[in-house]
Amino acid sequence: MRHSGATRSGSNLVLTGPTGARPGAVGFLTDTTLCIGCKACEVACKAWNGLPADDFGLTGFSYDNTKDLGAATWRHVAFIERFDGGDGRRPTDLQPFQSDWLMLSDVCKHCVEAGCLQACPTGAIVRTEFDTVVIQQDVCNGCGYCLPACPFGVPALSATDHKAHKCTLCYDRLKDGLEPACAKSCPTDSIQFGLVGELLARARGRVETLQGRGVAGAYIYGDRTVGGGGGIEGLNAFFILTAPPEVYNLPARPELPQRKTMPSYLTTIGTAVALGVAAFFSLRERGGA
Amino acid sequence: MGVGREERVGGAEDSSRPTPGAPRPAYERRWEARRDGGEGGGQSAGDEARDSYYGLPAIHRPQWNWLIVLYFFLGGIAGASYAIAGIARLFDDAESRRIARAGRYLALATLIPSPVLLILDLGRPERFHHMLRVVKIRSPLSVGTWVLTLFGGVCALTALGQAAEDGLLGRDTALARLGRAVPERGLNLLGLAPAFALSGYTGTLLAATAVPLWTKRALLMGPLFLASSMSNATAAIALILALTPGSGEAGRRRLERLETVATVAELALLLAVRGGLGETIARPLVTGRLGRVYRLGVLGIGLGAPLALRAGSIVRSRAPSRAATTLTSALILTGGLLFRYAILYAGRASADDPQATFALARADERRRT
Ligand code: SF4
Ligand code: SF4
Repeated sequence: MRHSGATRSGSNLVLTGPTGARPGAVGFLTDTTLCIGCKACEVACKAWNGLPADDFGLTGFSYDNTKDLGAATWRHVAFIERFDGGDGRRPTDLQPFQSDWLMLSDVCKHCVEAGCLQACPTGAIVRTEFDTVVIQQDVCNGCGYCLPACPFGVPALSATDHKAHKCTLCYDRLKDGLEPACAKSCPTDSIQFGLVGELLARARGRVETLQGRGVAGAYIYGDRTVGGGGGIEGLNAFFILTAPPEVYNLPARPELPQRKTMPSYLTTIGTAVALGVAAFFSLRERGGA
Repeated sequence: MGVGREERVGGAEDSSRPTPGAPRPAYERRWEARRDGGEGGGQSAGDEARDSYYGLPAIHRPQWNWLIVLYFFLGGIAGASYAIAGIARLFDDAESRRIARAGRYLALATLIPSPVLLILDLGRPERFHHMLRVVKIRSPLSVGTWVLTLFGGVCALTALGQAAEDGLLGRDTALARLGRAVPERGLNLLGLAPAFALSGYTGTLLAATAVPLWTKRALLMGPLFLASSMSNATAAIALILALTPGSGEAGRRRLERLETVATVAELALLLAVRGGLGETIARPLVTGRLGRVYRLGVLGIGLGAPLALRAGSIVRSRAPSRAATTLTSALILTGGLLFRYAILYAGRASADDPQATFALARADERRRT
């Protein structure tokens, strides 16, 4: 297996190469230039995982009706209509690929260093033998700390069972040697499943091809340079995008929240010492006071 | 690939716009503002699609509510009043003993509701003990759970010892014997660590998230909550002493000194946090109801007014009267509760604002280059 120069022994990351994923890690390459917005992935995911339907409403701003990843929506297809300039009018010439609609099937990124996993106080969130991130439903107690701890807004508490849910990368299917339901159902191979190292190599080739065909803005979101930096060490589910990440509601430079834990413990301890000393001198009996 | 573009502050997303009825998600308000041609002069969907996904939140906001606000308040007081009691106990005069006694009972009284509030907040309260399966140093919530557990034991034992000393447990009951057997001195010092940890970890709990308003000034959040807990606990102890007959002037004067230090530290830290947020991320603390709570409640009632009153009594160089202490204590405690309310709910609002999330990522980018 080709693996992009990054190895991990124990928890010691070798900080080279585009991803910190373990050899043997699996993930998704979601190539947005191939997405036709059919939502087969959303439906297949719900069907396989037994997830209930969402509230069928019209958002009024696009063909999107699930709006966001949620407790019962583990794939979410975003529809972004591109307008020309600032005048709000549609352009008269089309960009190569996807015309003036950008579509992206969003999903849990299965971060190499995952904020949700590090935050979870019950140990419900674990890293599996496939290097994916899974919430064990028999352990989660619905504390909700993984929600704000994910830099991508993925886990959500269910209003039905009050536990946190998100994509498992079809752990049960992987166990049986099957590819995840969404990748299986994608009619254009916009969603590709495989070893992260191989997918990254394929993605790099695809970006080159796209740029050769005139999509100058094509790039990979989810390696250490874009989308997977800031201590996250890469995303096992990554994307090929053609517009700035914000357009797809993805942060340009996400950061692993727990990078800040140790430094902020230290400043807190320092303050405790200072206030303790202040308390000592304030509460001390003073002659004549 | 245009990462790191200009921070855009669109008028249409100004949350100060009055919204009738119950509060709705930010994107709905933005949508309405856009439809009505609102203050932003009618942004089109195309305008918004250029720099966020139709204004929808980019991260999921925390679900915490008033239960957690109340826990932050009571847990902070529990830890800090135990710490103050422990430090006062190092001295052996009557006033110090009075401060220590009040602090210890107060710590126990504010500690008892804390786990109840935390457990009620869980989606599955019956599974609260799953928190005790693991210890995760990098998760402030895990650390906080263990700190609370450890502190609970220490605090209860100390209060038992105090009660035995005060003769509240009868003369020769089993509890009184147990209370007298408590190794008071050692426990006192040992308890300082979990006590301070309990009153400050809540800040790091908020800091170690992706919520822009909480994590932007991550290093100052723990110190801020710690200083606030200190000032709240001092105010609460002073209030108890002011309301109990027999306590002297000296105790009030000492507590006043500590309270002034803690309040000044809290004010400085709060302004440093607020000043470092930047326009977009700080918006929930500026506009609307939360903005008013922050300015009037936190800065005005909680910090400004007590410090002004203090300055008066320091200038006159007299110990504060019972009435003055009661008033400043009430102001500080009200401010402490409102501070936690404002920070928690402003964090939820900033998580709902994709521009805040993106501003955070861009600011980080600038810092790194
Ligand atoms: S994208 Fe969020 S939920 Fe998924 S692994 Fe990363 S931190 Fe966890
Ligand atoms: S809600 Fe569940 S999965 Fe999320 S942090 Fe809490 S216990 Fe862990």
